[in-house]
Amino acid sequence: MKSDKSILGVFPDSIRMSIQSAWRGRERGLAVFAGVLLASLVITTVLSYGGGLSQVFFQEALENDPIDAKFDLRERPDSNAESTTNNSTILTDTCADFEAMEEISDCALVFGRQALRVSGFFDESFVIPQPLNVEYAEASTGNWENVSWQYLEQENGGPPINDQRTIRFYGDGMWDGEHRTRHAEQILYGEWPESSSEAVEKRTIILPSKIAFDAEITNGSVIDRLDVSYIAQGTDGEAVNEDECNGVVEFEMNGYEFCREIITLENLTVVGIYEEFEFGNPTLLFNPVIIPAGLLNETVNETLMNSDHGYLAIALDRGALPTSSTADTREYLTDLYRDIQSKEFGDSNLQFVTTDMISGTITFLNIFLGLIQIFDAIIMIPIIILSLSVLVYGLTLSLEQRRREVAIHRVIGGTSPKLQRMVLAEIFFMATTAWAVGYLLAMLVVPIVLSAVGFMDFRSGSFQVNPWLSFALTFVVALTTVGLALIFASSQTKEFLSTDIEDGVKNNVAKRKPKTWLHLIMFFIGILSFIDAFLETQNGNDGLIKSWFPNALIAIFGPFLLWIGGALVLSRIGALGPRILKVIFGKTPVLKDIRTGLSGSSSGDSIQRLAVIMILTLSIVTLAAVQGYTGTLVDERTASVNAGADFKVTFNEPVNESVALETVRNYVGDLEYEVQSEDVSATSIQRLLTFDNERDIPVLVWALMDGHEEVLHWDDQAIPGSIDDLSSSLGNGSFLVGASIGYSLGLGDDIDEEMTNNKRDILQEGNVLTIEKRDYAVIESNDSEPIPEYVAELSFEQIQTLLGVQSFILTGPDMSGLDLSGQDLSERDFGQANFLSTNLAGTDFSGANLSGALFALNDATSASFAGADLSGAIIVDNQEAGFGPFPSFSGANFESADLTNAYGIFNFSGYDLTNTTCTDGSIAIDSICQSGPSKMPQEVQFFLGGAPSASDIGYTTNQTNITHIGQHVWIPGMSANEAATVVVIGQSSWADLVGENYSTDIKNEEWFFEILDESSEAGGDALRELRVIVSADEKVTEVTDWSTQHRNVERDGGLIFGTPGLLSLQFVVASLASIASAFVFLTLVLNQRKKELAILQAIGASNGQVIRLVLFEILSIILVSMVLGIMLGIGISQAFNGFFNIFGFIFQFFGGSATPIARNLVYPWIDLIQVNGFVISAVVIALFLTTRNALKGDLSMILKGE
Amino acid sequence: MADNVLKEEKILNAEGLFHIYESKALDGNVVALNGLDLVIREGEKVAVYGPSGSGKSTMLKCLGALMKPTAGIVSIGGTNVTRMTGQELIDLRQKTISFIFQEGNLLPHMHALDNVAQPLRHAGVKSAEARKKAAALLDELGILERAYSLPKLLSGGEQQRVSIARALITEPKLILADEPTGALDPITSREVIELFEELNQNKGVAFLVVTHNEEVASFADRVVELRDGKIIDSANDDFQAFSKVRMIPAPICPACKHDYGVSKAEECPSCGSSRPRVRAQ
Repeated sequence: MKSDKSILGVFPDSIRMSIQSAWRGRERGLAVFAGVLLASLVITTVLSYGGGLSQVFFQEALENDPIDAKFDLRERPDSNAESTTNNSTILTDTCADFEAMEEISDCALVFGRQALRVSGFFDESFVIPQPLNVEYAEASTGNWENVSWQYLEQENGGPPINDQRTIRFYGDGMWDGEHRTRHAEQILYGEWPESSSEAVEKRTIILPSKIAFDAEITNGSVIDRLDVSYIAQGTDGEAVNEDECNGVVEFEMNGYEFCREIITLENLTVVGIYEEFEFGNPTLLFNPVIIPAGLLNETVNETLMNSDHGYLAIALDRGALPTSSTADTREYLTDLYRDIQSKEFGDSNLQFVTTDMISGTITFLNIFLGLIQIFDAIIMIPIIILSLSVLVYGLTLSLEQRRREVAIHRVIGGTSPKLQRMVLAEIFFMATTAWAVGYLLAMLVVPIVLSAVGFMDFRSGSFQVNPWLSFALTFVVALTTVGLALIFASSQTKEFLSTDIEDGVKNNVAKRKPKTWLHLIMFFIGILSFIDAFLETQNGNDGLIKSWFPNALIAIFGPFLLWIGGALVLSRIGALGPRILKVIFGKTPVLKDIRTGLSGSSSGDSIQRLAVIMILTLSIVTLAAVQGYTGTLVDERTASVNAGADFKVTFNEPVNESVALETVRNYVGDLEYEVQSEDVSATSIQRLLTFDNERDIPVLVWALMDGHEEVLHWDDQAIPGSIDDLSSSLGNGSFLVGASIGYSLGLGDDIDEEMTNNKRDILQEGNVLTIEKRDYAVIESNDSEPIPEYVAELSFEQIQTLLGVQSFILTGPDMSGLDLSGQDLSERDFGQANFLSTNLAGTDFSGANLSGALFALNDATSASFAGADLSGAIIVDNQEAGFGPFPSFSGANFESADLTNAYGIFNFSGYDLTNTTCTDGSIAIDSICQSGPSKMPQEVQFFLGGAPSASDIGYTTNQTNITHIGQHVWIPGMSANEAATVVVIGQSSWADLVGENYSTDIKNEEWFFEILDESSEAGGDALRELRVIVSADEKVTEVTDWSTQHRNVERDGGLIFGTPGLLSLQFVVASLASIASAFVFLTLVLNQRKKELAILQAIGASNGQVIRLVLFEILSIILVSMVLGIMLGIGISQAFNGFFNIFGFIFQFFGGSATPIARNLVYPWIDLIQVNGFVISAVVIALFLTTRNALKGDLSMILKGE
Repeated sequence: MADNVLKEEKILNAEGLFHIYESKALDGNVVALNGLDLVIREGEKVAVYGPSGSGKSTMLKCLGALMKPTAGIVSIGGTNVTRMTGQELIDLRQKTISFIFQEGNLLPHMHALDNVAQPLRHAGVKSAEARKKAAALLDELGILERAYSLPKLLSGGEQQRVSIARALITEPKLILADEPTGALDPITSREVIELFEELNQNKGVAFLVVTHNEEVASFADRVVELRDGKIIDSANDDFQAFSKVRMIPAPICPACKHDYGVSKAEECPSCGSSRPRVRAQ
């Protein structure tokens, strides 16, 4: 007797047999395997993706500051405590102890912010410890007068600690090892020194980019003198003795006072410039100037130690951080630091307090990530349902295949429980293997999913992700997937075994009636939700269901019901495929000879299941493709709306095209990416205030210059018709109108009919509008008194019009109508804010920025404007303007306020104007301003009733007639809110309006540039690099580039970071599932029909006829199911759109961005056709292989069976 | 020889069996068994012969308690099995009766040894013991070297031997066989019959064999004819001839005309072809 050769011999018999049986019966188990594998893959991916996402976010956040922790001496260095030292060498020596710990990879002495002996950001005394500040720099090269050492971003971006640019002195350990590696990565220009000695030798200084750019210096420049201040008194919040302070006593915003004394360094060489981050962890204060501590002499060293400025900067071994979740990371860190805080280090037994920079970062991230994960889990629901249905159908099929086998077992004495155990054991082994394969696949897939930048568009990221799930999560996924398989299997087997043996031997089963009514109800509700969602996208319609609660219910559950119900109902039509196509092809020669063979073949259970699976999978494929593709486009379009073009530059003052082009072309050569400077083109959008001739209302105009279509990123959604049509018709004197100004002009598309017929003079598309630009001039009068009150003939309507004009210009926050009485708004930024009808009684605006703000119809009694910046503000006093009996500002305090160029209707004489800057720029003498409100800009002056009197002011006009061609939604690069209030015209109409002043040498502050292919990876990198370089140009105020905008949008806008990856995954998985299930189910179906085919052959059908019969039957089912699947997919894409919209809105809300872009679905037909093509190919191959097998088989053998 | 082991106890007794298949077809219900009576004594070999549609398979299922007859009583070993349910029936199959089918009906995903051992495992015997016994049986049937082959790799005869081994492993008192040689070539079927013969002699197993084959019928102590759902005392000439036929080993090899004489050889010593059985003259 031979022994059992397989290694399975070592297992107990029952396990060995289950495994063997599972393997030998793998064909029938394929569907079970596929179901569990899919479920395992998808669930693991979503979970692991969440973890990976937090890791990526986390890694990006870590990049901001290379230092992971700050270890401060527990006791002050100048105290007599034993656990402390004021010797920097002793402190540095303890680093050896820390570096010996496996969690820590580098440690070094740094002089910088004073010791933090507090519990975190929210501890009041967190704001007391002060950094070292840069006070002054002097050099023979560069433009150091340009440089501001103020660094307000630091205070605005976090707790109020310090608003100056900080400096750190780096000890020897910072110039090598891990610290060096991390700092070197941030260097934009130059090199991080190789060693501490090199740094000292070169007399190194490393500058943040903004400082270097403002000073217009580069590497190698020498700074002759640098003054740095340290805290000599005031540490720990103690009071400062001014007499003992050898420096400056400084009052910080946080209310504490410090004595800062100066250290002077000389002859420093700029060795590197690093890119500044927009914000950072406030613990260390970010973007400092860096100098080696080796350049400090011993005395200074000692001083800095004694004044508590010395600490140890720690670089953790980031690779050792637990990556399974941020919670684990935090726990790891807490344990580590608790351990360090409880021990003593170095020969002098020093004790430390630790400040963990990483945990703070985590706190912020978790809120955002939680939301993302909920969303991601929901969008993966369809594919999980799909995998479960594959599993259930697979089980049914697999059990049916064993009907005979089970009957044999029973004949030889098998009991039901025993047989059930056998079946379950087999399925258990199959499911476990499938789970493991799915799990491993997910581990491979997650990094790819995370690297997606768009639908089916992957780029290698610079991040490292560890996708492994924690043990508990792994266990849960295994339990869910394998457990579900076993639960389904157990219930189905039970039912199966309860049928009689004779049935099994006879091989026919009583069919269960499907619950048709349930399917129909599901489908019906689903269709309701589809119609509802569809109507809601049409012009703000409420949809079918008006009441919010049922509406919300149907919005959430409807799409799922539509999908499942739809698949079940439509599958019946799919299964009727042969009959449908028979009607079409029945009379053709293709089918003539096999026509009779076709009848009744669509009734099989398996066939209908095949149809269900095809419809389910292909509808998901469609959903994923449509939503993924749409989302990617929405992201790109949003970036285009924000940036307007590849590149947008705002200059300090209006410049002409050649200056603008030259500015950018100058730097293009510096890029690694090759751009020909003549390929760079530019355009601008001119702004102009005009008046509608007929209604006499102000109309703000944006004029697009010829050639804009080459530069601006236009989009079909922005305008009616195509962009080519638009540019040619704008050139011929047409105009587009924004929604709200369109309404005022009676042009809107959405004005309801009653309004249009009764109340307004309507200009519809094609109608002509006359607008004019008015040039005001004061006509010299004999009366040469200084400008008096403007009260005169101003009417309420006129002031409203004035305010209407003003609303075009206000770019600050809209505070109109709010009750801000008694609030403390001191030191806030309300530049260009709108305070129309705002209640400001007793409001404290001291020190606030109110420049260019609008104050009208207010009650501002007893408000404080002390020290406020009111320059250029428009101020309308109720009493002065005749709107009310009482003055708006009685009792208000304008001490030290700046009213330069403020205009409007007010008379502040008699108010407290101590030290106030009057409207003409002079300082008030004896609390009285000699000047009244300043002269207004011409456009506004007119409305104020003709100052000084109507006859003294006049205007000349230039008119143009423009033809309405429709409404725009947005204009690239321009504010979407503002776009609603403007009329857009072409260059020729603009020339008419400008009149004799027109010249082709157009000047503008804002210029748009076309430079390169922005959507390619290299192009994107180049644009971001160019932004940094151009920002440094002295003529430039601000630069926006498409690539940065796109990154921002991806991160907090429309479709959120990484979701295109998940949708791509859904697309790929569903595509593979549809191809694979077509293959598997067909094989099973055809195996079941082997006998039927053999009979056909036996009664004389030719091979060709049999193949044609099978091909026609199955292909017609597949084709009809395919069409239905795509139709259903389009339906659910629409139904799910509302859902995506809601989440998009939430993310924008959190991310602080907004897009005017409607989520109009886009259909990637090519991708869809490809997938369907693959499905058909798979089906044809499967058909060919199985049919050939069936045909090759021994007829008698097949026919003999049972 | 067979007469020696014949005993008087009835191992199987069927009285007045009726079975009706319900059908919605125009010609109404089908009466498969129509008052069938049959007795098999311990160690007796009975062959059933009948035209197709006479109810042979239905009879076998009813007698083997795979199916409940519409009316009538089947008792096996003195117990009425038509009233049995669940565990009793399983016990019966585990201890008293075994089946052999035309197709062998082996479990496709188990190798021969496991197939044979499976009934004992179902009966709760320890797996190692079951395998040992199965191996012994396979050895006895001369196919031990095929013990680890899957059914699809076995020849028809080998499959049938495995299926016989599987039927025997529970040491049944009665084997119900449905055309056991139907799928086999003449030589293999002859070997199968000799195996039955041996079992009957050595272990006293009773057989009820449904067959169309004269050779198989000739092995039986008794041949009955089933027609229209009942056993008939037929005056039919064919049946008379069929039931009275006696088969003996051929005296002369048909291939090389070698004379066997009184030898009991199964194979011709000179040309190696197997020795057929022929009608006794």
